[in-house]
Amino acid sequence: MNPGDNKEFIRKIRLALGYRSQGGRTFSGVFPDGRAEESVELIRRIKNRGPDERQWLLARLIEEAKALNMMVVPVKDAQSAAKQIAKVAQEKETEWGGPKRVIAWEHPLIERMKLNRELQKKGIPLDFTIPGPAGMGTDMVRERVIASYIGVTSAEFCVASSATLVMKTRPGQPRSVSLVPTIHMAVIEQDQIIADLRELYALLKWDPYHKEEGLTNCMTFITGPSKTGDIELILIHGAHGPKELYLYVITG
Amino acid sequence: MSEIRTEYYRDGARKAQQDPVLQSALAAAQSRIGGATAKAYMDFPEGPGLRLLGHDIRMKAIENLDILLETLVENIQKKGGHVHFAKDGREATEYCKEIALSRGVRRVVKGKSMVTEEIGLNSALMEEGIKVTETDLGEFIVQLAGEHPSHIIAPAVHKTRREIGKLFSEKLGIPYTTDPPTLTQAARKALREEFLSADMGISGCNLACAETGHITTVSNEGNIRMATTLPKIHVVFMGMERIVARLEDHDILLRLLATGAAAQKMAVYVSYIGGPRTPGQQDGPEEFHLIILDNGRSRILADEEFREILCCIRCAACLNVCPVYGKIGGHAYGHTYCGPIGAVLTPLLVGVNRAKDLCMGETLCGACQAACPVNIDIPRMLLSLRAKLADGDPQWSVTRSSLMEKAFYMAWAGMVRDRRMYELALRAVSGAQKLLPRREGWVHRLPPPFHGWSIHRDMKPVSGKSFIRRWSETHGRRGEGGNEPR
Repeated sequence: MNPGDNKEFIRKIRLALGYRSQGGRTFSGVFPDGRAEESVELIRRIKNRGPDERQWLLARLIEEAKALNMMVVPVKDAQSAAKQIAKVAQEKETEWGGPKRVIAWEHPLIERMKLNRELQKKGIPLDFTIPGPAGMGTDMVRERVIASYIGVTSAEFCVASSATLVMKTRPGQPRSVSLVPTIHMAVIEQDQIIADLRELYALLKWDPYHKEEGLTNCMTFITGPSKTGDIELILIHGAHGPKELYLYVITG
Repeated sequence: MSEIRTEYYRDGARKAQQDPVLQSALAAAQSRIGGATAKAYMDFPEGPGLRLLGHDIRMKAIENLDILLETLVENIQKKGGHVHFAKDGREATEYCKEIALSRGVRRVVKGKSMVTEEIGLNSALMEEGIKVTETDLGEFIVQLAGEHPSHIIAPAVHKTRREIGKLFSEKLGIPYTTDPPTLTQAARKALREEFLSADMGISGCNLACAETGHITTVSNEGNIRMATTLPKIHVVFMGMERIVARLEDHDILLRLLATGAAAQKMAVYVSYIGGPRTPGQQDGPEEFHLIILDNGRSRILADEEFREILCCIRCAACLNVCPVYGKIGGHAYGHTYCGPIGAVLTPLLVGVNRAKDLCMGETLCGACQAACPVNIDIPRMLLSLRAKLADGDPQWSVTRSSLMEKAFYMAWAGMVRDRRMYELALRAVSGAQKLLPRREGWVHRLPPPFHGWSIHRDMKPVSGKSFIRRWSETHGRRGEGGNEPR
């Protein structure tokens, strides 16, 4: 296809709208970034949240998650999260046969957990999706993710009002870890819990770090374990994605 | 479903009403989802007025669609994605076929997408010997059965667990069962193999974001994430109107979509996808192609009377409350889009005369607009379509659907404007109706061409005296009014 066809396509839309040209309209002129100042103010408030408010958000998250059959487990530190994960790993069986295997993101928080030590005690091997030439390439990530019954990730944020985890895809943090294994476990710190989508979009757009990085080429929101109602509207978990979703919140 | 069967609406509707299994399935779906959605709108922190805000965001996007698409394309190309514009379904399927054939694609997995139904993509790819597998559980069931979806988000709503059990035991070789979890697990297993061996994943697009250059996909099952993560190539089909300007527009619209579709606060999975795998990333497709489709949409856009229908976000809330859909199901509508949204959109896409029964069949009760998360005035557009059918419209190449009806109404209009003619006609009808069969004093059957009105009900006989005449008889000739016949 040549670029001329694209122009023709847009021209047809313009004509349909009654314009001969852009007509002085620009993207930022028609759709001004209205929320800039209030977003910056909102982010400041989010970052200065007091302990009471943070506790309330955690409670809200737990309540919302319950209705979705998503397990939210507050733990006091990273090592406790690892202990909890290892305990569940021991209890659960693999879905597709084969030996138990866990795969985890390369992520500072997960590193702090010393998950390897806890899983070793149970005799369950753990792979980290380490990027780079010395780490895991695409083929290996694919192979290991398929062979694993548990995938461990962190997240950028968790939205309390809908129990929504927000995750970006980066080197070391492939998206398939939260998707292909039967059980998905995420670990976050309590101050990553935010109130609602309004706060989320303010942070994604105006927080300097996220503004610089952008959404990445794949950002995913996860709200509960996979589900379907396609057979007589009966709710069943684990249609294609994970059957179970655990979220460990490190309260510190 | 590129095949258009809108001409068979009446047959389809009749058959559906005689199918007790379908009737109970539709009633269950409507009572479960319809009511829950109405309640969920009340639970928005902003209140149900959020729907009106959603409408404004969508309408502004539609009215500046050229600018939004240019911005989207530029941003996606920056991230290494390819964008193709297709003026019709044929062009769109050709692009996709070309990509598939030039890369030796043998197996395709698909996320649910109405727009690919609209252009008949599956059959076009299968003709080339490519295996195409629908992966949404409902779509998978419907595809195995060789049928078409009957609901926009619950494609297999018309099928019972017994039928599905029988289908799976035949096609998947599992022991017969009617247990939904076992059936779901069987599909999960079969489709996991497809995901892992596919060369290409195809998805639709719910609402692209122009500002950031991402398409979005929304699902509860995770099948779209699978189809857009595991295969080497990802091809997106997007109706050209499915876009918003700013990232924060999704704050309102994603909530409205999840609520309208299934009374959820959020869908389980929402993904923003903006291009292929970047250096250093360890999964995701190597190629990303976005195909933006017109296929009749710019013609709708050009008509201010119907432009509003392009605000639709395909949540199917209108299906879940429509008294007509609730009786006749999705297949009777004879094309991809069914229910109230289909009754407007289908005639505009395939031809108003050809699909006239769809807009004539709806009741104008207004339930669809009240249920719509972006408050689209569907009844208004149904009426506009009917007006075009009554009077003809060269712009839409609509011919008068019934000359006799028009002649009758013109005669009627002439008669009711002439008091003497009216009184005369009343007396004539009241005399003539004595010849008609009665039941308990009511007229039981009308003669052609009026017989349609008496199929399901008896009619009260016409009085030989007009109201004005009776009034003047009981209240004296010189009442307040000055309109009595002389």
